[in-house]
Amino acid sequence: MAPLVQIDNLRKEFGNVRALDGVSFNVDSGEWIAIMGPSGSGKTTLINILGGLDTPTSGCAIVDGTDVARLDEGGLTRFRAEKIGFIFQQFHLVPYLTALENVMLAQYFHSTTDEREARTELERVGLGDRLDHLPGELSGGEQQRVPVARALINHPKLLLADEPTGNLDEANEKLVLQLMSELHNEGHTILMVTHAPEIGALADRRIDLAHGRLAQVKASV
Amino acid sequence: MFGRLLWKMLRSNRGRLAVALVAVISGATVISALLDLQFDIERKLTQEFRALGPNIVVSAKSGGQVVTPGATVASNSADLLTESVIEHTLEAHRTPEVVASAPFLFVVARVAGTPVVAAGTWLDQLAKLNPTWRIQGDWIASRDDADQCLVGRKAAQQLGAVRDARIGLDYLGRHAQLRVAGVIDSGGEEDNQIFMNLPAAWNLTGEQPYISLWQLSVSGTSASIGDYAAQLGAALPGYDVRPIRAVTQAEGSLLDRTRLLIASMVVLILVLTALCVLATMMALAMERRKNVGLMKALGGSIARIMSLFLAEVGVLGAVGGLIGCAAGVALARWMGERVFNASIAPRWEVFPLTIVLMIVVALAGALPLRLLGKVKPAVILRGE
Repeated sequence: MAPLVQIDNLRKEFGNVRALDGVSFNVDSGEWIAIMGPSGSGKTTLINILGGLDTPTSGCAIVDGTDVARLDEGGLTRFRAEKIGFIFQQFHLVPYLTALENVMLAQYFHSTTDEREARTELERVGLGDRLDHLPGELSGGEQQRVPVARALINHPKLLLADEPTGNLDEANEKLVLQLMSELHNEGHTILMVTHAPEIGALADRRIDLAHGRLAQVKASV
Repeated sequence: MFGRLLWKMLRSNRGRLAVALVAVISGATVISALLDLQFDIERKLTQEFRALGPNIVVSAKSGGQVVTPGATVASNSADLLTESVIEHTLEAHRTPEVVASAPFLFVVARVAGTPVVAAGTWLDQLAKLNPTWRIQGDWIASRDDADQCLVGRKAAQQLGAVRDARIGLDYLGRHAQLRVAGVIDSGGEEDNQIFMNLPAAWNLTGEQPYISLWQLSVSGTSASIGDYAAQLGAALPGYDVRPIRAVTQAEGSLLDRTRLLIASMVVLILVLTALCVLATMMALAMERRKNVGLMKALGGSIARIMSLFLAEVGVLGAVGGLIGCAAGVALARWMGERVFNASIAPRWEVFPLTIVLMIVVALAGALPLRLLGKVKPAVILRGE
């Protein structure tokens, strides 16, 4: 079976700065990959390209048979809606929409909304009693669980998490990591950027980036 | 979900949107009032100009004549206006509306030895034909009333005639005794005249039942009055039909200038309203960059995202336009009463026109939202 993600000689330059420099690796369906490295190593750039938020300068990044580098603006929009689920470090919730509506927003941009399905997804992440709360009325951990539900609502092929626990206290970090483990066990493919080795150790494989290059790929113990 | 998102957006930005809404309401109020006036101005000004008196004069080709004792009034009776000619012509030419019309026969008679111009006319038409005339006493309601007359203010002073007094008119040995029903103040030469029943004037002169002059007050624009005068001229080839240019041209000129003024003000207000909406939307666009970046990251197409914002602006324009229209009706009424001393009825076609104008203006003011189309989600989500 072909890998879900195939990255080959991927380069990304911002002016004179080379953020990614010939990165190549594959990810099989159902794998949990931790992308690690110091600040400025190109982790977020890699995630952004795989998520269709950015385009590479050269090379290819194929996700579920689609070469992201070849998509135009409209193609990238559909790609993001149909194949990618994002979980951001800073939650990125629309402040005037309730938790339920934030999840339904992803449904709306994907196709049609289904409030019952959105409720079920929020109940799954433990927010069944916070459906009608605005983001400002939720704790940090609760706020982070809303993007998890939002990322899952359209059944994406790939979950991209950019330091999902970076803004959480220890208790909430555990909750979110437990959720990620559950998702992995359910067969979701996850690429997660993290600085923390103990979090990276939860993944199937760890990919280290340094100065935009692949420094190390190793399976977690 | 579209409606839900729209409602939440409107609620969350109600502070800023309220500023734009006030601008739209203000613009719509003035514009709808001006449009009400624009649509009604022709009728109002026409009414105003009708108050200035008759605007068409018909006379025999030889001109209106004053009958003096012993004079021969016309050499050819075919050239003389008669009451039946007038009635027949009025019957044949009903449009535009003839507000009032009256024939006149002018006679120089004597009252207690003092020469005075007596005008035989349709007495019931004088008030409508000359709305600016003031009277002490009563107008004469029946044109068949041969026993009463109206006396001009100066003539009344000269003759010592007061209301209810009786005066005797003499003409070449003929005599008419009349009761003064009222004293007229016209501010013109009519103040020197006595107005009496037309058949009574014929009896006094003992001449043929001819008419010196026929005055008409016709409603309509200067152009339509000119057209009507041309129609009368064609129907009465032996007569001289003249629109009173001073009145009709002044009316046309004032109408054109008023329309231009109103159109200019409407355009100016539309521009100002658009600028106000634009300023608000510029600020909103900056505030919304992050949310738009997120929506794009979630797979929202720019068309779908922009449709939300445009709907928001459309609602702003429609609501502002609707409220402004209602306020505009009140403003138009106030302006009508203050400027034209008459009520201005709301014109229903102004409502959709104003609302559409406000929606267009609001959408034009929403141009800064186009900037949101260029938002790069990756940049925004990085917090830049």
